[in-house]
Amino acid sequence: MKRDYPNQNHTLFPGSSSSTPPLLPDLTGKSKMWDEFNEQDTGVDELLAVLGYKVKSSDMVDVAQKIEHLEGVLSNDDGLSQMASDSIHQNPSDLSSWLESMICELNPVVQVQLPGSGSIAGSLVGTSTSPGSAGIDDLQAIPGDAIYPPTKKQKSLSEDNGNKTYSPNPIVIIDSQENGIRLVHTLMACAEAVQQDDMKRAETLVKQAGYLAVSQAGAMRKVATYFAEALARRIYRLYPKSPQDAPAFRDLLQMHFYETCPYLKFAHFTANQAILEAFAGKKKVHVIDFSMKQGMQWPALMQALALRPGGPPTFRLTGIGPPSGDNTDHLQEVGWKLAQLADTIHVEFQYRGFLAESLSDLEPAMLELREDEVVAVNSVFEMHELLARPGAVEKVLSAVKEMKPEILTVVEQEANHNGPVFLERFTESLHYYSTLFDSLESSGGGGGGSVESGGVAAASNQDKIMSEVYLGKQICNVVACEGPDRVERHETLAQWKTRFDSAGFQPVHLGSNAYKQASMLLALFAGGDGYRVEENDGCLMLGWHTRSLITTSAWKLR
Amino acid sequence: MVHILENGEHFRADNREPEPEPEGFGSGFSINDHLDLLIEVLKRLDGRSLGAAACVCRQWCAIARNDSLWEHLCFRHVSPPPVGVRPVVSALGGYRRLYMVCVRPVLSRLKRRRLGGESEVVRRVWNQHEVELSLSLFCVEYYERLLVGGGRVAGDSPSSSLKFLCMPVNV
Repeated sequence: MKRDYPNQNHTLFPGSSSSTPPLLPDLTGKSKMWDEFNEQDTGVDELLAVLGYKVKSSDMVDVAQKIEHLEGVLSNDDGLSQMASDSIHQNPSDLSSWLESMICELNPVVQVQLPGSGSIAGSLVGTSTSPGSAGIDDLQAIPGDAIYPPTKKQKSLSEDNGNKTYSPNPIVIIDSQENGIRLVHTLMACAEAVQQDDMKRAETLVKQAGYLAVSQAGAMRKVATYFAEALARRIYRLYPKSPQDAPAFRDLLQMHFYETCPYLKFAHFTANQAILEAFAGKKKVHVIDFSMKQGMQWPALMQALALRPGGPPTFRLTGIGPPSGDNTDHLQEVGWKLAQLADTIHVEFQYRGFLAESLSDLEPAMLELREDEVVAVNSVFEMHELLARPGAVEKVLSAVKEMKPEILTVVEQEANHNGPVFLERFTESLHYYSTLFDSLESSGGGGGGSVESGGVAAASNQDKIMSEVYLGKQICNVVACEGPDRVERHETLAQWKTRFDSAGFQPVHLGSNAYKQASMLLALFAGGDGYRVEENDGCLMLGWHTRSLITTSAWKLR
Repeated sequence: MVHILENGEHFRADNREPEPEPEGFGSGFSINDHLDLLIEVLKRLDGRSLGAAACVCRQWCAIARNDSLWEHLCFRHVSPPPVGVRPVVSALGGYRRLYMVCVRPVLSRLKRRRLGGESEVVRRVWNQHEVELSLSLFCVEYYERLLVGGGRVAGDSPSSSLKFLCMPVNV
């Protein structure tokens, strides 16, 4: 059978986008020819043998993939210095292993100088972004379903994976988006290496991830840096000591987070609305707050109670928090300020602060519950920490039941960062925190030209940075820690529902008032278009574009 | 000698009796002689004009700073007017502060959001939810100043929890 010989006019120089198929025209998308090749399998491909290259027919697909990958990498000139021609490559006639060595030697951020004009890989017809791996020893191509767009700006990779039709694409893509994709791949590959306990490979990958992260900008860069750092901590066993920071510092970080983006405000306002509705008509109310911190949630509730028809009730607040390390009684100070506020708006107020290392140390008897009081229990981002120790969450929930609350309000992150497999946790948290950082970028960005002075812009920058540190610590905990140290054990609403159900609670629907107030609150934020409030079976979820990030739910005893 | 123009009358720096108004002012009517009328007029202004009025002269400034004017501004379109709000708001810093710190940014931000499709009434009526939200934010702001001030309400500029209201919105 007569065959067409491959096109002899290979273009060896960059910039000439030839529309003729590259190197192996008979391979590109012509399955009929492929079948013919298969029939004549003598172990070495005949066509290429004529040209002087020995390639096993069974390796053909592999070789073609590698060539495409190599071309993609070589065409992506990041302007960095080229590796000198002292790199050693194997005999190019053994095409498969030559390509292998090329790819192995290649650091993706450095361009390799091609050894002479006879090289095949010199034909620089642009290809679409290759799905290959990041080119380090022993790396395999990342399977398609491990890849997802890291930010909403990245285009979907799914159409490129497993692309067997090597149809030529004259467009050459050279930009940092390629690096961004590569960065995600590298992080994922590193996590996989850690999962398989291959620390040497993980080490190489994490360093590379570090380099790639620097080439990015904005949210991607920050997320990648935090994740790379956390991975490095895990690899080198430099676990962050626990507890990491003084509670005062953590509170400070959370305050900045409170100011920059709406998540905490949303949490407070929706929980307050549920509590307010549960307290309707009651004369004596008692709130037990598991997440006292700076007490930012309670002024709004007190004001709403002060202005409710029928006048304010007697308001008792019990705040629970960890000991502050230094000698200051931080909880008491917060209580004093709240008392001042209550005095100003004429609400009868009593306060008690309890220091507890962990919520499971709490005994209802300590709280001096009174018969004629209506109790509400509130927990914002505290419950998930209990999952670090077996039995703790059940103990706390039964303690809550003993308090006989009218309502229990819980706000938690909407993600599953508590799976048993490290790689899954890593993937989930990468997606989650990328979305979070994205939203931070847009809401923190508008500082310039605002009302007062340049000082506001600088301050809002500082807020943003501190918020990022706050999130970065969570990332570090999810990725680098294990066992009782890993406290950021977020779970989804469905998982919490099962837990609360089995503990004897039933859901309370958050009404439309909460929904409207939340929507209005979000509309006030710059970047407010990106935030979404969703109602999910009586619970309210706040998300960024299509991804839900935190959930407020309310519960009462069955 | 320096002439200081104040209240439509001329003063001399050497403290003599103020001269009568020049003839060009016609009938001799001065709004400043009829403060109740002045207040009625100011009541109908929008926030920006009221602020500008406060810059006219000291007397007007004193009148315009009267909190009941600002209360009227905040709630004139809310029906029914909220009950029992006044002591709370006064205690937290007054209606003028409420307007400057919360109501004005909230309304303008929400108005901008709605400008998309619907036609916009200039003096929009704001609803119960917006009132509640503004009041809550106001209270949080007061508390934050308490926290920062170490027990005393610190400063006059809005605290950081409301900074998000100041930032420009991507329209």
